[in-house]
Amino acid sequence: MERDDAWHLTGDLMVEHGKGDPFAAAIRATRMPMIVTDPRRDDNPIVFVNDAFLRLTGYERGEIMGRNCRFLQGPDTDPNAIQQLREAVGARRDISVDILNYRKDGTSFWNALYMSPVITKGGDLHYFFASQLDVTDRVDAQMRTQNEKEHFEREVAKRTRELSDALAAKTMLVHEVDHRVKNNLQMVASLLTMQTRSISDPTAREAMKSMLTRVEALGTVHKRLYQSHDVERFDVAEFARELATDLVRGSGRSEISLHLDLEPVEVPVEKAPPVALMMNELITNALKHAFPSNRPGRLSIRVQPDGRYFGIRIIDDGIGMPQEVVGTRSFGKRLIESLARQLNASIAWQPGDPGTSIDIRLPRESPGAKDST
Amino acid sequence: MSEPLRVLIAEDEALILMQLEFLVEDAGHVVLGSAATAAEAIGIAREVRPDLVFVDLQLRGGSSGIDIVRALRDDAAMILVFVTANAQHLPEGFEGAAGVIAKPFTEAVIFDTLAYFSECVHAPPPRSPLPLGLRLAPAYRDALGV
Repeated sequence: MERDDAWHLTGDLMVEHGKGDPFAAAIRATRMPMIVTDPRRDDNPIVFVNDAFLRLTGYERGEIMGRNCRFLQGPDTDPNAIQQLREAVGARRDISVDILNYRKDGTSFWNALYMSPVITKGGDLHYFFASQLDVTDRVDAQMRTQNEKEHFEREVAKRTRELSDALAAKTMLVHEVDHRVKNNLQMVASLLTMQTRSISDPTAREAMKSMLTRVEALGTVHKRLYQSHDVERFDVAEFARELATDLVRGSGRSEISLHLDLEPVEVPVEKAPPVALMMNELITNALKHAFPSNRPGRLSIRVQPDGRYFGIRIIDDGIGMPQEVVGTRSFGKRLIESLARQLNASIAWQPGDPGTSIDIRLPRESPGAKDST
Repeated sequence: MSEPLRVLIAEDEALILMQLEFLVEDAGHVVLGSAATAAEAIGIAREVRPDLVFVDLQLRGGSSGIDIVRALRDDAAMILVFVTANAQHLPEGFEGAAGVIAKPFTEAVIFDTLAYFSECVHAPPPRSPLPLGLRLAPAYRDALGV
């Protein structure tokens, strides 16, 4: 009579015990590496190992029978995975874990280990049954993907940081330059204000005051630049409100009433200074010439979109433009003509009844490539 | 015109300070003093108790106009008005100041502002419209009832 345990001492399919047992035969012959250990014996030794396991690990049957499975572990085996195995054995439950194991020749492989207890009806733990699967390719691919992902994320984070820093530096620079431009414009206005006070000749004084209003108009443009929702657009209507109010108030002519009819018209910022200076000249002219000798009157300003164009209309009900203003080439007049040329604007001066009506029509967008910048 | 306003100016830029002094005087008001640092301005203000203080934001030696406003805002008799090229960076409510004039300002805005606060001080509530270049703090506007 052969020994009870003779069946697990061989891989031979023809072994007497279990002969005719198709389950035992299947386990011996399967390509899936499998072992059985006996927890009732000291240190839970291997009591059965199939040929597939020997092929996977490179050991001879005699070298590993009776040993605990830990010889499969090596320097890079994750202690966490070992701990999980230990706990599963202690708790007599099954476990599935990917663990780095080592062959006899020292090479490593990723082992998708499944281990489960074999418990009798009476509740006695007799064996542990374990199957192994070499999943090195899958784990390597996963790790490679994970590494690539982490590398990529690090690169993205680094690039994002660089961009944020660059943006912060640029924003600070813009604020600094913006602040300086505003302060410098204020200083230019200060100089003009103070110089004007020291001049007694009325004509010279008048000329200085004109210069001051021009500088102030440019200052108002700059002040308004970053107030709109879009830093590249400039609202002509809101600017007109501020400019006209300032000019009428600054003239000290409380008997002139200002009427505004404004619809929003946004133009590219590069158009803002010439539009501002042109409006400044026209409104200043009207205030200066239309209402002599404290004559009361009405000045109305309209800003209106007109398709791809927009219109600015300045109407006074004063005495009408004197010939020397309309006809001659005063500095103010030449300034208006130059700015109109720059803006591709048409200007029509019409005698009103009474007063003067000035119509300006100009394209809203800049020609050429500047649009897209 | 009613009694002149007594004005203190905190501004470290000499040219802009001179211009403001001229404009205040041209409008018939009185400049009590000027300061280039926050500490100086607070000291003078506590001593001479002006009706109106024009406060630049960036002052000499890295001091800030915000400190002037924080030190003086609990004195209801003093109207504190920022005059700054950094208006867009002021916190909402202007730290307790009455309002803000953005630089570059025009002469007309300073004249209108002086006239407006003169009415606030001597004959409230003001009848003049709020100057376009002057932004009032919501709390101050509510207190005025305008």
